[in-house]
Amino acid sequence: MTQAVKSAKSAPATGSGAVMVLGGGVAGVQAALDLTDLGYYVYLVEKSAAIGGAMAQLDKTFPTNDCSL
Amino acid sequence: MDGYNEGLALTRPIHIDYPQAVPASYYIDPKACLHLTENTCKICVPVCRSRAIDFTQTEKIEELQVGAVVVAPGFGRVPDSTLAKYGYGQHPDVVTSLEFERLLNPSGPYQGQVLTMSDRRHPKRLAFIQCVGSRDLGCDNGYCSSVCCMYAIKEAMVAKEHDPELDITIYYMDMRTQGKDFDAAQKRAESQFGIKFVRAKVADVMPWGKKGLKLTYSTLNGGHHFEPFDMVVLSVGLDSPKDAQAIAQTLDIKLNRYDFCDTSAFTPLNTSREGIFVAGAFQGPKDIPESVTQSSAAAGIASALLKQQRGAGYVVKSYPNERDIKDEEVRIGVFTCHCGINIGGVVNVPSVDQYAGGMENVVYHSESLYSCSQDAQEVIKQKIKEHKLNRVVIAACSPRTHEPLFQETLKDAGLNRSLFEMVNIRDQCSWVHAQEPEAATRKAMDLIRMGVAKARGIKPLAEQTVPVTAKAVVIGGGVAGMTAALTLAEQGFHTTIVEKEAALGGNLLVIKKTILGVDTEKTLKAMIEQVKKTKLITVLTKAELLDVSGFVGNFSSVIRLADGQENTIDHGVIILATGGKEHTPQTVLGKELPASEAIITQRELETRLNAKGKKLPDSVVMVQCAGSRGDDLSYCSKVCCNHAVKNALTLKDKNPKAQVIVLYRDLRTYGYAEEKYREARERGVIFIPYSLDAKPEISKKGKAVEVRFFDPLLGEEVTVNPDLVVLSVGIVPQGTEVLSKLLKVPVTADKFFLEAHVKLRPVEMPVDGVYVCGLAHSPKPLDETVVQAQAAAAKAAMPLVKGMVKVDPIVSHVDKEACIGCGLCVSLCPYKAIQMLTSEDKKKRAETIVASCKACGICASHCPTFAISMGGFTNEQIFSQIEAFGKSIEDKL
Amino acid sequence: MNQAPEFNPRILGFLCNWCCYAAADAAGVSRYQYPPNLRTIRVMCTGRLDPVFVIKGLIEGADGIFTGG
Repeated sequence: MTQAVKSAKSAPATGSGAVMVLGGGVAGVQAALDLTDLGYYVYLVEKSAAIGGAMAQLDKTFPTNDCSL
Repeated sequence: MDGYNEGLALTRPIHIDYPQAVPASYYIDPKACLHLTENTCKICVPVCRSRAIDFTQTEKIEELQVGAVVVAPGFGRVPDSTLAKYGYGQHPDVVTSLEFERLLNPSGPYQGQVLTMSDRRHPKRLAFIQCVGSRDLGCDNGYCSSVCCMYAIKEAMVAKEHDPELDITIYYMDMRTQGKDFDAAQKRAESQFGIKFVRAKVADVMPWGKKGLKLTYSTLNGGHHFEPFDMVVLSVGLDSPKDAQAIAQTLDIKLNRYDFCDTSAFTPLNTSREGIFVAGAFQGPKDIPESVTQSSAAAGIASALLKQQRGAGYVVKSYPNERDIKDEEVRIGVFTCHCGINIGGVVNVPSVDQYAGGMENVVYHSESLYSCSQDAQEVIKQKIKEHKLNRVVIAACSPRTHEPLFQETLKDAGLNRSLFEMVNIRDQCSWVHAQEPEAATRKAMDLIRMGVAKARGIKPLAEQTVPVTAKAVVIGGGVAGMTAALTLAEQGFHTTIVEKEAALGGNLLVIKKTILGVDTEKTLKAMIEQVKKTKLITVLTKAELLDVSGFVGNFSSVIRLADGQENTIDHGVIILATGGKEHTPQTVLGKELPASEAIITQRELETRLNAKGKKLPDSVVMVQCAGSRGDDLSYCSKVCCNHAVKNALTLKDKNPKAQVIVLYRDLRTYGYAEEKYREARERGVIFIPYSLDAKPEISKKGKAVEVRFFDPLLGEEVTVNPDLVVLSVGIVPQGTEVLSKLLKVPVTADKFFLEAHVKLRPVEMPVDGVYVCGLAHSPKPLDETVVQAQAAAAKAAMPLVKGMVKVDPIVSHVDKEACIGCGLCVSLCPYKAIQMLTSEDKKKRAETIVASCKACGICASHCPTFAISMGGFTNEQIFSQIEAFGKSIEDKL
Repeated sequence: MNQAPEFNPRILGFLCNWCCYAAADAAGVSRYQYPPNLRTIRVMCTGRLDPVFVIKGLIEGADGIFTGG
C-alpha cells in the first residue's frame, strides 16, 4: 500500500479527474461506487486479494440480523 | 492458514478467500507457498491448464495521476498481549469476537456449528467480556470502540438461534446501544432470547476442572464472584490500522494520539492535507452505517473539489447489442443454486435440477455452488450464448436482493434484462423448512415449475429514461440543512433552503462548544455567512412546504413564504433536514415531575453556564434518561450523556468547588468522548448508576428539591438536597409527520424518518429522490450530523449529475386500442401516475406517467377492458403461474 | 391403513413485493420455521390481484388462497 500511494504526493488539483480510494472494505467500496455515480474515474487500491474487508467476514449485521455478505 | 476464517481453519496455499470474493481469482499465499519459501515444489505450474501461474512476476510500482484521494484503510487489531490478560492464547476456548463470528457462520470452520476449539463439544455456558482493548488505558486505548456492544448482542442472539439451550452472559461496564433502534435490540436479547447482562469488571479467566474456564469478576458493590464457563468470547475493540503511521507518512496527513486520522467536528472527513479525505473506521472507531455514510460524504466532498474535471477519463460501461428474440422459439435455461449449504444442505439440488430439465422449453439446466459468484456469472453468460437461451430462470435466493445482479449478467450476454425470472428457494424454502428436506425439495420443484411457466411468457421490455431538473430543495436550515446545501452548491447545483424560523442555525444557536472543546459558535456564524453569500443557494426563512408533487428528477413544490405568498419551485431532489428539539417530558423515572424552578434541563443549564455574571450552583444532581428509554420516549437520544459530561466539566471549570452527581443507567460517552468521562471522574464528578427496579426519586421540599437514590457502592439509600436538579431529557424529531404524509415516506415508531436500508442506504429514503440527514433521522452529535448532511448531498447530486433517471420497465402500459377512456384507473391510482389524454380521434385515453408509476398494478386489476398490462406481471404470466401451481408433482409421487 | 390420511392442504399465496414478500424473506433470514404447504406468486402490490386469480387458483386445486400485502 505504501508504494501505491506515492503518486498522491503531487499537488491535489493536478487537473486529473480521477480519484484514488485506498482500502477496499465497505467504506472504500462505497466511496468508489459513489464517486463513479458522481462522474469520476476511480482507482480502488486494496492490499489483499479481494475487496470486502472485515464486513465480508460477518454473518449477519446488528440490529436487524440481515445477511452481511 | 485460512485468514478469512481467522486462522480457525486450514486452506491451501493457492486459494480464493471465499466463494463470493471479488475478484474471484485464485492467488498464492507467499507465506505458505513452498516455492516462495523453500524454492522447491512448483508443481502448480505444469498442472494449470491455462498456464496462469507465472513465478517470474514481480512487484511493480505504478504512477497514477489523481485529483483527490479517499483514505479508507479500516481498523487494526488490538495486540494479543492485551487479550492474554483474559487467557487468550493460553486456553483455546477463549476466542475473539471475530473468531466467534466465523464459528457462527455457515461458511465458517464448523459449517456454522458452535463448538469449543479444545475438543469440539457443544458449549453449554458462554460468556462475553466487553471492553477488551477499549476504554482501557492499559493498552493506551482510552476511547470506546462504539461497535462491540452491538456485535456482542448480535453474536449472542445468533448463537442462541443455533442452540436455544445455550446459557449466555454478557459482562459489561455500560451497554452502549445508543444508535437508532439499538436499545430495542438489546431488550429483545434480554426478554426474548434470555441473554443475561451483568454489570461487572472481569479480572481474569483461568482454566477450571478438566475442560472448563473460570471467570472472576467484581461488581459495583465491591463483591468478587466467579462463574464457570465452557467458552469465553472477548469483545475486542477496534484499534488503529497496523500501518497507520506509514500511511500517514506517505500521505503526509496528521494522526491523533491513538493513531487514527486527525479531523475536526465541522470538517470530520478532511485530513490535514487538502485533497485527501478520510472515511470509515480510520477516522475513528465506528459501525457499518456510519462508515457507509462517511464514504458517500467523502465522495461528495471530493466531487466538489474536482467539479471542473468531472467526467474526465470516465468510462461508461458498454453492453453488446440486444439480441432480437421476436422470431425465436422459447429457449429457457434454469440455473439452480446450492448457496453453499444454505440451499443444498436442505433441498436436494441435483434432483431439483433434473426435474427442471424435464420441463417444456427448458433447453439447458445446471447447478452451481454460488450462482452470485463472479465465475458463475461468466458461466451463465457463456451458456446463454452457447445454447441460444432467450429466457433465464435462476433458482436461488431473493429477487429483492439479487435480481439486479443477474439482470446485469443478461445484459452482458446480449439479452434484454427483463427476460429473467428468479425463484426463491432459499429465504422462502430451505431456510424455513430446514427440518423437512423432502417437503422443501418438493416445494422447490413446484416453485421452479411456476417460475418456468411465468418465464415462457416474458417479453423484452425497453428501459425508459426521463430528464431531470438539476436543482435541489433542502427542508431545514440548521447545521444539517446548511451543510447539505453548501455541499450541493459546491458541486454546482442550485439549492433552495426552506427554513420555518426567522433565522438559520437551528439547535446550534444555543450551543457554544462540543464535548471535545470545538468552538461551535464561531464556526456556525461563518457557516451562515457562507450560505448567505453563496450565489447558488436561495434561503427562504419563515417559510413552509405546503405541497409536493412529481417524482425523482421532476418534483414541484409549493412553498409559503414569510409574506404569506405561495411560490412554486421545480427541482429534481429533496433533502429532509427538519431537525429535532429538546423533549419536554411528562413522565420522569416513571413518575410525574414536580414543578420547580430548581429542576431544569441540560440545555437550560448550558445557557446559564454560558451567561456572564450569573451565580452558578454549588451542588447539582444530573439525572440521565429522564423521560427516555422507557418513560415517555422509548429510545436513547445518543447525545445526552455527552451533554451532561460537558456541562459537568464546564461547571467544574467555572466553579471548582461545585459538587456534581450524575445518576445514570449506562453512561454512553462513546468514541473519544470517553476521555472526557474519565476526566470528569478524575475531577471529582460523581457517577452513580441506577437500575430500573430502584429508580431515583425527585421530590419538592418547599422551594428546595430533594433527590433520593440507591448508591450501590455504599449499598444504601442516599438523600441529597442540591441547588439544581438537571434533567437529560432527550430529543424528539420535528416536522417528520407532516412531511411523511406529503412525500409518502415512512417514519419509525418514534417518528424519526426511516431510511431505505439501515446499513447500506442510510441517507436515502425509500422514495427515489428524497434524502434525509440530521436529527430528523435520529438523535446524533454535531460531527455525525455534518457527515450525514454531506452524504445526503452527495447522494442527491447523483441524479442531478446524470441529468436523467432510469425507470424500471415493470410499470403499467395502456393498450390505446382497448382503452375506453372510463377513467377508473386514474381515480384509483395512488401515485397520480395515470393521466387522461385526448387522442387524435378526440376520444379520451389513459396514459401512464412512467416515472411516477410504482408498478402496483391496481389499474391493471380493475380495468374493465383488460387494456392495462403490467411489465413482467401480465395476466397471462400470472395465469400460467397459477396453472403450473395446479400441476403439482405431489399427485404423481 | 386404519388411519385417515392427514390433511395436507395446498395453499397458493400472492405476496406483495414490498411488505409480505419482504417479510417472508426476513422470516427466512431469521430461520423461522413454518409448514411447507405454501406456494407463492410475487406481485408488486396486492392491488395487482384480480379476483379472477383467486378463482383460478381454487379451480387449479388450491385448498386455500393466501394474500399478503
